[in-house]
Amino acid sequence: MNKLGTVIGFTFRNKVRTKAFLITTIVLAIIMSIAINIPYFIQLFTGEDLKSGSTKIGLVYAEQANVAEQLDSYWKAQNNDEFTFVKYDTSDAASLKKDIEAGTIDGYLQFSDDQKTLFPSVVYSSDEDDGLNAVAQAELSGALQAVKMQVIVQDSLTPEQIAELKTPVQFNAQNINADASAPKANEKDESNRMMEFGVVYLLIILFFFTSMTTGNMIAAEVTTEKSSRIMEILITSVSPLTQMFGKIIGMFLVGLTQIAVFVLVILGNLFMPQNKEVLADFNIDLSQVSIDVLVYGFTFYVLGYFLYAVLFAAVGSIVSRTEDLGQAIMPITMLSLAAFYVGSFSMGAPNTMLMKVASFIPFLSPTTMIVRIGIGEIAVWEIWVSILILVISILFFGWLSAKIYRTGVLMYGKRPTIKELRKAMKAYKI
Amino acid sequence: MESLKLEKVIKQFGDKTAVNELSLEVGVGEIYGLLGANGAGKTTTMRMVLGLIYPDGGSIRYNGKPHSDELRQIVGYLPEERGLYPKVKVSEQLSYLAQLRGMSRKDADKSIRYWLERFEVPEYYEKRIEELSKGNQQKIGFIAAVVHKPQILILDEAFSGLDPVNVELLKATVKELRDQGTSILFSTHRMEHVEELCRNITIMHRSNPIVQGSLKEIKSRYPREQVALGTTSEVTGLENIPCVTKVTIQEQGGYLINISDVSAAQQILQIAMQQSVVEKFELKEPTLNQIFIKEVGESHE
Repeated sequence: MNKLGTVIGFTFRNKVRTKAFLITTIVLAIIMSIAINIPYFIQLFTGEDLKSGSTKIGLVYAEQANVAEQLDSYWKAQNNDEFTFVKYDTSDAASLKKDIEAGTIDGYLQFSDDQKTLFPSVVYSSDEDDGLNAVAQAELSGALQAVKMQVIVQDSLTPEQIAELKTPVQFNAQNINADASAPKANEKDESNRMMEFGVVYLLIILFFFTSMTTGNMIAAEVTTEKSSRIMEILITSVSPLTQMFGKIIGMFLVGLTQIAVFVLVILGNLFMPQNKEVLADFNIDLSQVSIDVLVYGFTFYVLGYFLYAVLFAAVGSIVSRTEDLGQAIMPITMLSLAAFYVGSFSMGAPNTMLMKVASFIPFLSPTTMIVRIGIGEIAVWEIWVSILILVISILFFGWLSAKIYRTGVLMYGKRPTIKELRKAMKAYKI
Repeated sequence: MESLKLEKVIKQFGDKTAVNELSLEVGVGEIYGLLGANGAGKTTTMRMVLGLIYPDGGSIRYNGKPHSDELRQIVGYLPEERGLYPKVKVSEQLSYLAQLRGMSRKDADKSIRYWLERFEVPEYYEKRIEELSKGNQQKIGFIAAVVHKPQILILDEAFSGLDPVNVELLKATVKELRDQGTSILFSTHRMEHVEELCRNITIMHRSNPIVQGSLKEIKSRYPREQVALGTTSEVTGLENIPCVTKVTIQEQGGYLINISDVSAAQQILQIAMQQSVVEKFELKEPTLNQIFIKEVGESHE
């Protein structure tokens, strides 16, 4: 036990202090911070006008005085200060242009005088390349839509009917399969669902990347120890099992540290004042994240990690040179890719047969189970059976890997075949 | 009691026998020499002693007890192809290895400082292995093997690749450890080291122990077949003495005469005394080198 701690400590300290680790962590943290702040930056650059006051739009009454009048009154009723209208009776382009240059208005809105159509087309002219900003444009076309409806229906409908027409259809999905054991699968409102979708996706990506990177590190580390021949001293000092699991746990802590740093960076950024509004805009409330998903997610993450890690250690032990490592870990890489894609592609349809089967297969269950728990419907017993299968496979593959490890670290030269490995195991009496 | 005792140890890899019925005993405070050509089974024997692989037959006892996990703390090992973490500081990896052998961090640090001082390289404490020369890496490897004060020390080719000054330094250290009561199993190709250090030896050849026993006794088993002669002037007619097989004139003056029977030595001395003044006359005992080549070389043909 004491020695296990020593191995864990040594592995952890040495990995965390390498330049490669420090640099990747810092670079990724910076990229994350930038990514989170992008909406704010965009606002900073494009939203300068907003700060100096709302956009002033000249409204030309000349051609369609009626429409312009309705638009103006409609907009005033909205009480929105995204932009304000300035009345112009003239449609003289030269004088309007002069006003734009003078800064009295940012642009002007002009209706065509085509009498044949029921509603004229609208042109916005300004001296900027991109015209109105996206928000103002959306608001403006919404307002125009409302005015258009008023113009067309005239007085044939009551204001209540018009109001009813404007409200979108209420479409609610309801799950009639009220499973008592999975109450959270029901009554999820839209934003909650979005949230869970995001969390599940994040968990899958996290699982895939960390198990791959730390797994590769484990394999590389074992091969390096073997090729630098320090392995011979190590296995005479500490049992291979202790050594293998010490390394795996040490690397796990390294991965966990990295994740913790990233989570802190993300949270720190999200809670900065300028980003709080963005969160609110997207209707994201972190307290909505279901604790169940996180707890199960973490459980499957840890178990899945160990399952892959023991295999990586075993593969690392049979390879003598780091150059051969990439080829040797290919099958495991494929397996984890499969787990990642089955999980992420099935997020839209988490209750298919494929997912049900996959969530009980040890190497696929860490990702697929999370999808089913987070998005799909699942009974609690299914989760526990899957966890049990995972634990049993960890024990089995751990035992097998320890045997391979014990044999592999003493075999030098070319990569042994399975037959040679078995022969060696017999010869070494392992 | 012997710290290390091997009895009829057999190891087979598939249908190939790697070690065949090897028995040996290493006493407390003894250096035991294990000799043999490449592939003779030395490394396999050492690995069995270390408990890395298990023998197919026979037994290995440590202080009278079979192999167990506690043994890891009293055994030290310097592998032939020594390795250390290239990018880790000397003090850290030595401390790590010592702690794996059951030392506390504090004791380990004390021991490391002592040994670095002993090898006159205290400034390496903060250095990385990759910054050191090969010979100095070797010293660190040696420290790794002895840092935890092992009772049983296994040295595979301990002195290869070192300059003469460092060989002497390491040799002195090995002797010191022996005098402190460490049992040392020592393998090498360099016979002069064995003659200087070992009391008992085993020469292995193709998995079999072919010569075993104390160095003195082994040497007495082999006839004295060489005479070194130094005279002030030339001596002729040495070739004509019966039983003289070969006469070599040495660079720095004098003769080296191979004989097939010890009685010829007296005749050589007489002839030399008749013709010249004898400055040096020695009936040489066979060197281990010669014994080794004789045993291993002959059966090769």
